[in-house]
Amino acid sequence: MAIVNPAADAFAASDRAEPEAVEYPGERASWLQVAPLVVVLLLFFGLPMLVVLAVSFFDFSRTEIIPAFIFDNYIDLFRSEVTLRLYASSLKFAAIVWAVTLVLGFNIAYFLVFHVRGLLFQIGLFLLCTVPFLTSNIIRMISWIPFLGRNGIFNQALQGAGITSQPLEFLLFSDFAVIVAYVHLFTLFMVVPIFNSMARIDKSLLEAARDAGAGRFRVVAEVVWPLSRTGIALGSIFVVTLVMGDSFVVRTMSGGQSASVVSALQNEVAALQYPPAAASAVIMVIIVTLMVAGILRVVDVRKELAG
Amino acid sequence: MHGDDTRPWTFYAFAAFFTLFVLFLYGPMIVIYILSFQGPNGGMTFPLNGVSLHWFSALVSQTRVGDIAGSFVRSIGLAAIVAVITVVLSVLAGLAFRRRFRGSAFAFYLAIASLIMPGLFVGLGIALTFRLLGLPTEWFTTGLGAQLTWTLPFGLLIMFAVLGRFNRSYEEAATDLGATNWQKVREVTLPILLPGIIGVALFGFTLSYDEIARTALAAGARNTLPLEIWAMTTNVTSPTLYAVGAVTTIVSFIVIIVALGSIAIVQRRRAAAGMRTE
Amino acid sequence: MTRSSSEPKNKFSRRTLLKGAAAGGAVVATQGVGGFPTVWAQNTKDVTLVHAGGSYAAIKEIGDQATKDLGFKIVMQAITDDVQLNRSLTQPQTIDINNIDSTKLPYLLGKGAIAPIPVAKYKLWSETVPLFTKGAYPNGTMASTQGLAPIEAMFYADKDAKKLAGKPTEFLTMIPTIYNADTLGIRPDLVGGRDKITSWKDLLDPKFKGKTALVDYAPVGVMDVAMALESRGDFKYADKGNMTKDEIDKTIKIMIDLKKGGHFRSFWSTFDQSVNLMASGEVVVQSMWSPAVTAVRSRGIDCYYVPLKEGYRGWFVGLAPMAHLSGLKLDCAYEYMNWFNSGWQGGFIAKQGYYSAVPATAKKFLTPEEWDYWYDGKPAAVDIKDPYGTLMEKKGSTRDGGAIWDRMGNIACWNTVMDEDRYLTRRWNEFVSS
Repeated sequence: MAIVNPAADAFAASDRAEPEAVEYPGERASWLQVAPLVVVLLLFFGLPMLVVLAVSFFDFSRTEIIPAFIFDNYIDLFRSEVTLRLYASSLKFAAIVWAVTLVLGFNIAYFLVFHVRGLLFQIGLFLLCTVPFLTSNIIRMISWIPFLGRNGIFNQALQGAGITSQPLEFLLFSDFAVIVAYVHLFTLFMVVPIFNSMARIDKSLLEAARDAGAGRFRVVAEVVWPLSRTGIALGSIFVVTLVMGDSFVVRTMSGGQSASVVSALQNEVAALQYPPAAASAVIMVIIVTLMVAGILRVVDVRKELAG
Repeated sequence: MHGDDTRPWTFYAFAAFFTLFVLFLYGPMIVIYILSFQGPNGGMTFPLNGVSLHWFSALVSQTRVGDIAGSFVRSIGLAAIVAVITVVLSVLAGLAFRRRFRGSAFAFYLAIASLIMPGLFVGLGIALTFRLLGLPTEWFTTGLGAQLTWTLPFGLLIMFAVLGRFNRSYEEAATDLGATNWQKVREVTLPILLPGIIGVALFGFTLSYDEIARTALAAGARNTLPLEIWAMTTNVTSPTLYAVGAVTTIVSFIVIIVALGSIAIVQRRRAAAGMRTE
Repeated sequence: MTRSSSEPKNKFSRRTLLKGAAAGGAVVATQGVGGFPTVWAQNTKDVTLVHAGGSYAAIKEIGDQATKDLGFKIVMQAITDDVQLNRSLTQPQTIDINNIDSTKLPYLLGKGAIAPIPVAKYKLWSETVPLFTKGAYPNGTMASTQGLAPIEAMFYADKDAKKLAGKPTEFLTMIPTIYNADTLGIRPDLVGGRDKITSWKDLLDPKFKGKTALVDYAPVGVMDVAMALESRGDFKYADKGNMTKDEIDKTIKIMIDLKKGGHFRSFWSTFDQSVNLMASGEVVVQSMWSPAVTAVRSRGIDCYYVPLKEGYRGWFVGLAPMAHLSGLKLDCAYEYMNWFNSGWQGGFIAKQGYYSAVPATAKKFLTPEEWDYWYDGKPAAVDIKDPYGTLMEKKGSTRDGGAIWDRMGNIACWNTVMDEDRYLTRRWNEFVSS
């Protein structure tokens, strides 16, 4: 079983699967079930999004936002090399954090599902991982600072153990610190969906594979990994969107020395420059949606569900 | 389940890995817990300037902490409402996606885009929209809505993981036994999905309890806890912030024990009713 | 309650006044310092006013005291500057009393969000320091007008409140409340002594490479660097508070080079970060706020707020009623704003190192020793405590920079928003991402 299925094009698949004329059995029930969610999202996201879209075409001066229909905000955005740099920076963080959290998330979920015995114990350990996530992100982020600083606990321990003679400067206010904080804050978002996917794997499948002579790693590679792909895809969507949408972590942990798309946008909103910020937000939604669509090209979670 | 009692070596490797991860998670948190016992003249970093419960009592007596108590109550209330709405709406929507239906791509990508939209703009967009409509912004209306644009996509996507590979044969068996649709959902589908649903609830609760970007411009004239904390860090701060963290952790452990207890009870009942999930 | 710390120990008359204020408050509210209009308590007791502002001003204790003294409810909402500004414009109804940083005023101008204040409604105008009323220091010399000076920001041209007058008129933009003089904070133990830093240019000295920090806010961060560049002799700005595009380009270029060379350790965006940077020794020279210096010192770590020879960067904030207020609520808003400068608040924030726009009233809520230390720059005759009674400075220490007018009387430039704000934001984003 392979995860990569080039034929499963997310968009094409949905087009093929939904010709206008065909009525699916139980469609009305589905509509009723999905309606509350859609209504809430249309009201609190769709409508505001239209306003933002409109504003992105507005003109503005230092003191005023002028209703208009101009493309200047978009043209400025595409012309500026800052845009490229911001996306490069955000994408770099997203890629690294995705890789790290995937490795962590998969292994932790695997351990919890296949090695820990007893549902209650399993859930207990799972919740142990979630407790720190109930403490405010701000506080958790700040807590790394006394840990990683020049005279922080980690540097003192390293020097105390004689591993380094000088404090390591790159530990704090650096890309490294940003990534540590991201991994700390976001790993759970990878663990939860993978855990849920894995928990549904019929254990007799694994035994069958083992009985058939497959080694441990082959079982993982050929049975567990493919059967967890929904969870992996969902976790990836979470982590990628969380990192792409972040500004707090990058700002605090880099000591304001790195930027992300959203932190730049935040500076503009702070100076009331809505139109260029709105244009930037619109572009970002498009780009990240394409990234998600890319993930779904590999694993079409909707199709997995609807069979 | 596996019959033999000897653990493979990989178990120990994974257990060590897991322990390291938990240490990584809790390491900086432990710094917080220790510093929350800072003496009355101590600051937010080491060294400890004496040991005291000063900052916990400051939390209770409401000196020097801004409106922590008020915002805490609001945040807990809001998080509970968000969790309930998120569970109901995303379980329903998740069930919908088990069948094909026209418009499913629209609903799906609406949720995805809602997840992606920079939070600050969700709040700003809601504020502008409500202004156009002449409605006030309050933490329990627009603030709630802003948070739902965040928790619902999460809830929905987690339901995809929960419902994926859900074995339909149980439901079919129930139908064969003459169960009505509602009986089928209540007696079969929901109990099997319960751990997943609790997961969605926890997610909804946590995401709401922690949300800043979306809530900041949509909360109206009263702060939620993270907003209060964030505003506080712009001024003279004290280890009270850490005390908040420590208290939160204790409360979470209590919540988790209660949740685990209820799962255990449900399990026992289910076992008594002769039904198994695996 | 820890209020006792604010109670003077040796002046009988003042103590009775304080007791009166603490007990009923009605004394101060109805016939106190400025002679307040008497609004009947029965009508006002259902009124609630939301005072939104930075956490340095929207302090819960102050709101509680006001509620007690005035008989109607003041709710303090501490929020960050950017959220406050955005909310003032997109959802003005959620704020009643707007705590305005002078740098936010240009954004609010002409938007109809805040209401002009007729001078007559503010009872303490004649007692307010001349810096706000005339643009002059008490000794008569005129204050710097680089950046947005108080005299430029205080008055609307007319009751339409569309433009600033730049000179006294009948309509105030806001009631001035708190102000201070900002400079560089240093770690004397790590830079080789207090006298090693004397000028803004030391911020850029290569020997502090990797150990300096700036505030992560474009208008102020750029201005601090401009102060340093000017003192280093790189170039002379026509107005550091209102740079041309060319001046911004030149400044940002040097900043990018410095950043790439690793000159800055960090850019702080919260008070807390600035304290921790200094206390942990990550940074030895940085732009910071006065209470942050005290916060570092109260941990037993030496930190010095250096009076630099080029002068300070000044700032001030004030209160304005939102335009949606009317009738009884507006009356209460005026009463509250008058209360705000009538002493209690001034005494409270003095102990955080900020000055009151009406020092004479604040003086009544400080002990003579506290007054001497905070305002007159004299050595502390007793241990100096913060508003909550925690020890801040030991007996014998002196406030860095000295007396109020030695500090406020030497402002080189005021915090501001430049005309080229849009351009500056863009270049700042470029700076941060480079």
